[in-house]
Amino acid sequence: MSDALLSIRSIDKHFGAYHALRDVSLDVAHGEFVALLGPSGCGKTTLLRCIAGFLSPDSGTIRIGGEDVTRLPPHRRPLNTVFQHYALFPHMSILDNVAYGPRRHGVARGEALERAREALELVGLDSAAGRFPRELSGGQQQRVALARAFVNRPKLLLLDEPLSALDLKLRKRMQIELKHLQEKLGIAFVFVTHDQEEAMSMANRIVVMNRGVIEQVGDGRTIYTSPASRFVADFIGEANLLPGTAEGDAGVRLGVGAALLPHLGADARQRYTAVLRPEHVELLDQPEAPGLITDQGFVEDVIDTGGQTVVTVRVGEHLLASRRLGMAGKGLNPGAPVFVGFRPGHVHLIAEPAPHRSGP
Amino acid sequence: MNRALPLLAAPVAFFVAFFAVPMIVVVSSSLMAGGVPSLGNYARVLLDQYHWDVLAATFRIAGLTTAACALLGYPLAYYLVRVVKSRALRRTCVILLVLPLFTSNIVRSFGWMVLLGRNGLVNDALVGAGILDRPMRFLGTELGIVIGLVYILLPFIVLAVGNALAAVDPALEDASSDLGATPFDTFRTVTFPLCLPGLMSGIVMVFTLAVSAYVTPALLSGGKITVFPMLIFQQYSTVFDVNYGGALSMTLLVMTLVLVGLAGWIGNAGADAKGRAAR
Repeated sequence: MSDALLSIRSIDKHFGAYHALRDVSLDVAHGEFVALLGPSGCGKTTLLRCIAGFLSPDSGTIRIGGEDVTRLPPHRRPLNTVFQHYALFPHMSILDNVAYGPRRHGVARGEALERAREALELVGLDSAAGRFPRELSGGQQQRVALARAFVNRPKLLLLDEPLSALDLKLRKRMQIELKHLQEKLGIAFVFVTHDQEEAMSMANRIVVMNRGVIEQVGDGRTIYTSPASRFVADFIGEANLLPGTAEGDAGVRLGVGAALLPHLGADARQRYTAVLRPEHVELLDQPEAPGLITDQGFVEDVIDTGGQTVVTVRVGEHLLASRRLGMAGKGLNPGAPVFVGFRPGHVHLIAEPAPHRSGP
Repeated sequence: MNRALPLLAAPVAFFVAFFAVPMIVVVSSSLMAGGVPSLGNYARVLLDQYHWDVLAATFRIAGLTTAACALLGYPLAYYLVRVVKSRALRRTCVILLVLPLFTSNIVRSFGWMVLLGRNGLVNDALVGAGILDRPMRFLGTELGIVIGLVYILLPFIVLAVGNALAAVDPALEDASSDLGATPFDTFRTVTFPLCLPGLMSGIVMVFTLAVSAYVTPALLSGGKITVFPMLIFQQYSTVFDVNYGGALSMTLLVMTLVLVGLAGWIGNAGADAKGRAAR
């Protein structure tokens, strides 16, 4: 992809003995909204800081718009960043904060202030121009940080967990606003978050990272329905993870269910992790149902949160969570026998890496 | 409220006993001459050109000391806080910086008398390096006193600026750089303005300590230069004229306060103008 806006090629980064990024490659297209998603310490912020230029990778290259920026200092890179805690200059007014970027790029003061005003208007804060950062609420500071970052009209905007300091309601609203703003500006966003819902609701593409490695890249739907690894399946949403073993062409035997899961072309004795989302596990009142793989178990636990109910069922040695809409827990007491069933098409199989052999 | 009163009483009593009462004693004694209330002491101080000359020398020495402390101390503080990465090395540097404060001013000033003498280490080094043709006179000059005072007062400004620098969020400098500012621009528009209050408090501290310094100027003056605290010391310790000495003390205090206030006001106005220029 030579026309990619951002092109990262096999970068590595160590902090002492700690391997923070391992052979990371990623392309971001113009106008795309990409989320870097992963638990804390997965390397997503390190990757972002490498792109911004605050960190220098040990090896590999970073290109922006075809130009190699790997060794350029931050102030010479054609991108801007929204920092986690906003990093607004406390000694400058809101207007001066936003005008700071254009001023540093040699724009005359009058013109810079005009641009700053326009940017503030876009985030609905033109009335706060004369105030100081400490006089603004968290949500307002967030908007100022945004305006300050896009006023330079970069092709690429990096956002480092920008919504993490906001309360839940405000965060939800800012997610929608941010998405609209990104579409209106046409700037590519690279957005770091540890919140998978946030990533799913905003990004065109999600990059799931773990221990310095990119585990999977794809849209939210793909990552949810076809996770590439056990880690992704477990990290994105809730998942029942079951062991599976291929039995030749007959199919795969799961830890749960009497029937085999039809699966062609598997090596004999190939091991799998089967991913089954809780919303696909049905509770039945008879042992058999057409088209379902079924089994019998006992209710372990019922959690009723009003909008949905999660029933955990013990089947043999495995626990299977089933999510139902509404108050579905009525009459299900712990210990009660219950039948569970799921459609073979809802099971996603992840092949386990072959066990290491010791020499030829 | 009532429970807060005993808690409040201790600091108030301390303040009254150690700050308010001594001040009142000095002020009231300065307003007495020959057992009757009088402004005569102040007339003696203010109408004598000699006092104005000494005052000018005192403030000149203190001003030079403060300027030198700021110029040396700021880079030193920056180095300690921003350049030194190893925690152990930084701690060692801070200890080295503070350690001299534990020894007496007298000892340290005597040390400088030896170093700055005609055949002292400083002159030997300067002549040996070919910078001077023949030994320079330091003792008994204002330069000698300034050198001694800078040495003693430098830690105060380094600590004040260092604390202010350490309090500047590195993310602000990242943000500045991210927005296109060169490292120098970042320092000029973000780092420096944000630690200006720390620098100002350090400057005020050093200036007031330099103005009121007695031991160092007395030892390094070689009897050739007089600063105001020496006059005050004479009145209290040899002449025993507490009334006249009190008037001298109050004069120095008021003049210093006026100068510090003036500097603060100019500094604020300057910072505002600098801030505007940066935007």
